[in-house]
Amino acid sequence: MRVRYLAATLLVVMLAVAASTASGGTSRSQADKIVVWLQVDAQNGWPEAVALANRNFKAQHPDVDVDVQYQTWGTHLAKFDAALAGNNAPDVIEMGNTEMTKYMAAGAFKSLNRSVFPNNKTWLQGLTGSCRYNGKLYGVPYYAGARAVIYRKDQYKAAGVTGTPKSLAEFVADGKRLMKKYGKGGDYSALYFPGKYWLGSMSFVYDYGGQIAVRKNGKWQGSLNSPKALQALTQLKSAVKALSRANKTGDEANPQQALVFAKGKVGSFFGNGWEWPYALDEKVGNPSLAPVVGAYPMPSHTKGKFMPTFLGGSDLAVPVTTKNQALAVDWIKAFTSTAAETEIAKTGNIANTTKLLALNAANPKLAPFARAAKFSWFVPTSPNWVNVENADVIQNMLIKIFTGRASVKAAANSASSQITRILNSGA
Amino acid sequence: MVTVAESEYPLASRRRRRFSRQRIGRGLAPYALLAPAAAVIGVILAYPLYLLVSLSFQKYGLFELIRHKGRGIGVDNYTRILHDSQFWQVLGRTVLFTVVAVSLTMVLGTAIALLLVQVSRFMRLALTTGLVLVWATPVVVAVNIWHWMVDFEFGVANYALTKLHLGDFIRHDWFESPWSGFGVITALVVWGAIPFVTITVYAGLAQVPQELLEAAAIDGARPWSAFREVTLPLLKPIFVILISLSIIWDFQVFQQIWIMLDQRPASDYYTMAIYAFSQSFRLSEYGLGSAIAVVMVLFMFLATIVYLRQMLKAGEVH
Repeated sequence: MRVRYLAATLLVVMLAVAASTASGGTSRSQADKIVVWLQVDAQNGWPEAVALANRNFKAQHPDVDVDVQYQTWGTHLAKFDAALAGNNAPDVIEMGNTEMTKYMAAGAFKSLNRSVFPNNKTWLQGLTGSCRYNGKLYGVPYYAGARAVIYRKDQYKAAGVTGTPKSLAEFVADGKRLMKKYGKGGDYSALYFPGKYWLGSMSFVYDYGGQIAVRKNGKWQGSLNSPKALQALTQLKSAVKALSRANKTGDEANPQQALVFAKGKVGSFFGNGWEWPYALDEKVGNPSLAPVVGAYPMPSHTKGKFMPTFLGGSDLAVPVTTKNQALAVDWIKAFTSTAAETEIAKTGNIANTTKLLALNAANPKLAPFARAAKFSWFVPTSPNWVNVENADVIQNMLIKIFTGRASVKAAANSASSQITRILNSGA
Repeated sequence: MVTVAESEYPLASRRRRRFSRQRIGRGLAPYALLAPAAAVIGVILAYPLYLLVSLSFQKYGLFELIRHKGRGIGVDNYTRILHDSQFWQVLGRTVLFTVVAVSLTMVLGTAIALLLVQVSRFMRLALTTGLVLVWATPVVVAVNIWHWMVDFEFGVANYALTKLHLGDFIRHDWFESPWSGFGVITALVVWGAIPFVTITVYAGLAQVPQELLEAAAIDGARPWSAFREVTLPLLKPIFVILISLSIIWDFQVFQQIWIMLDQRPASDYYTMAIYAFSQSFRLSEYGLGSAIAVVMVLFMFLATIVYLRQMLKAGEVH
């Protein structure tokens, strides 16, 4: 009996010692790896730029590995919060420009010295604005994107549409002609527009002079129920009803709209510059469509003008929990170098520096997006803005409108009061 | 029971002392054996539970998260929840969902268990294998498969239903209306829950003495009455346990809704678990999310206790 007890005790002690020493062995030493979080857009759209940056970084720091982990827009913030709480946040993170304010206000990033970064004197003003808070710089502009209509030139021609529409009314009329020619099966969309595509939908609102929220007397007031916004939403609802057979409760990334376009039952879609080459991708797209795809800026309801497009963009930031700030800064320098930014711009994005804007304007594939970028809108600049995005307020409003479950006015009223509440909630 | 041992005690006091020392040793042994497991469970469950409750009394947003330090605000989180109309809507929806899902699970599970008794050995084997395979599939995998089956553009369930001339389901959005969406989700949850209920009830049915059923049949009882008068009372303890477990599990349903709706469920699809998660991780209000979770736990605890008391009182389980 006593021998058995002794053996059992020894076993337990051995296990305890083994367990405690095992956990101690895996702590990251100062300089052998950095972790970078980029979005899948980079993985799909410009992997060469990432590879270029990694090569240059490795040349500078031969014994440091770069672990690039790709995130999706819908989940990366929750993961980032969990990583911040657990003290294992990445060394570099890509943040959307609408997401920056909340995290800068909460002190999530290290402040950076502008002068060490390439092309810092010619950074795009709009993007740089999203990296600054209380006079300090907390991020580096990475790239911007504008949306335009990407379309099938052959289908337009076959349906009798000449040229490209110069006003929204012409656009809808042309779309109806496309629907008449191709829409018999019930699965063809002249304009593929999923219900939750709020970035596309709000372009209509801003085109008619409405806004998501306005600032009055130091407080935010949701304004999607203003007369101008209601008019825009009504026009949007009728256009989508006539021209789109996309899922009314889906969004533009699931399934990826460029890939649906590549399958051939879509006349046009409202997408970013990089979605054009993505639709022609060898592995997941349809390369044979290359000669018949074109793009033009979405026309405004006012003839001759363009609809404002959301000036989306990403910034690169260094989380405050990092132990490798110098390495992180060096990686960002490599990834925003002129060479890497040129690669990023080549796929249809707007590079972070005005020096490369001419590159886009000269290329017929990129010119429509550069033109569209001249008229842009942005979200309300409140630290609580990203909570409105996270709560899916605008998406839910759009679903109600497109599925007819609520009138435009009722859905907009509900969304506006939610936006007012979230934007004004005390920090 | 107690009366048997007592009869030994009127003997000599020396023998009584020897008995009591052995009795204490024997009495302590079970606790000693349980202690390590209890300690592990305590550490894994008790500490997070303590943290959850203390978090529910704090303001803990992104700012506090980065500094790892919250700000005590008393019961503000609780008052905020109880005054929020969305909370009551979500609670009502979760209760309705739980009632429907648990009822369907129990009825269908018991029906299949009764079927298992009647069929041939081969069919029983086939059916049991099917049930075990369903049970063994990880939830996330199963939900992803169902997600693909009812997909808007390419769902194979839509295709099959259309081919069977049950209507036109091509490019049918099951989740456009919350009623139809919850129909799909309930089907998914019940499908996943049936194997456990069926196999447990089947095992319980094996305890029902055949003679009682035969006697009931001889007395002219129809199958339904035989079930109600003979089988059901004998299975009552098992049903009590299964229903309590099902209530607890279905009240906390999260993954099915989350994955089916691409991790962005509309507010019409919020159940308590999703509401708590969304408050915490989407809106970075960890204190508020914790308060919702605590309310959830209390509610489930109350519901189960009330139900158990009722069952035990009514049944006087032997």
